[in-house]
Amino acid sequence: MTEWQKKSPLEWLSYVNKEVKVLAAEKNTYQGWVLTVDPVSANILLAQPLENGKMSISAVLGHAVQDVEIVNEADDTMKEKLSHLFMPEERQRYSQ
Amino acid sequence: SSLSSLVTPNTAELEEEQQGRVLLRERYLRSLLAMARQPVSFAMYEKVNVTALFGASDIDILNFQVSELQTPLGVQREALLRCSDIIAYSFEL
Repeated sequence: MTEWQKKSPLEWLSYVNKEVKVLAAEKNTYQGWVLTVDPVSANILLAQPLENGKMSISAVLGHAVQDVEIVNEADDTMKEKLSHLFMPEERQRYSQ
Repeated sequence: SSLSSLVTPNTAELEEEQQGRVLLRERYLRSLLAMARQPVSFAMYEKVNVTALFGASDIDILNFQVSELQTPLGVQREALLRCSDIIAYSFEL
């Protein structure tokens, strides 16, 4: 198990809403805003806004994570955006 | 009362950790739902990159079921990817 996989849920939680640089296996690097870390697999889920208004979602698998460096902290607008990304729309939830 | 004072801080800590775990897991599972039927790029070991339509994952996130897997040897209609072979995956939302 790697250091990243051994962290506790509360430690992973402290990365949510932070912009990070992830160093992964075979010298791959990924940058984005942390949406979540799956507590089962330690997969780290990142969001990166694109110029066309869409979001690029990337996940680095827990076993391949070598280092995670925090580079920025989300403001309230970004936090709001990140928290709604995968939530069902209000009308889908209540209309039927 | 001496027993409860021993037990209480521990329980509170466990509770907090459990709530954190729930939040993290729910967000991850919702991301898998959002990924269903979407084209996803997978970066595998040995610099192999493949794309496929995401289907589902098992509960332990050990395997991904995908379809229309584009490989250098052709298209696999249905396939299972072992998560231990994958470094990262990405899609657009």
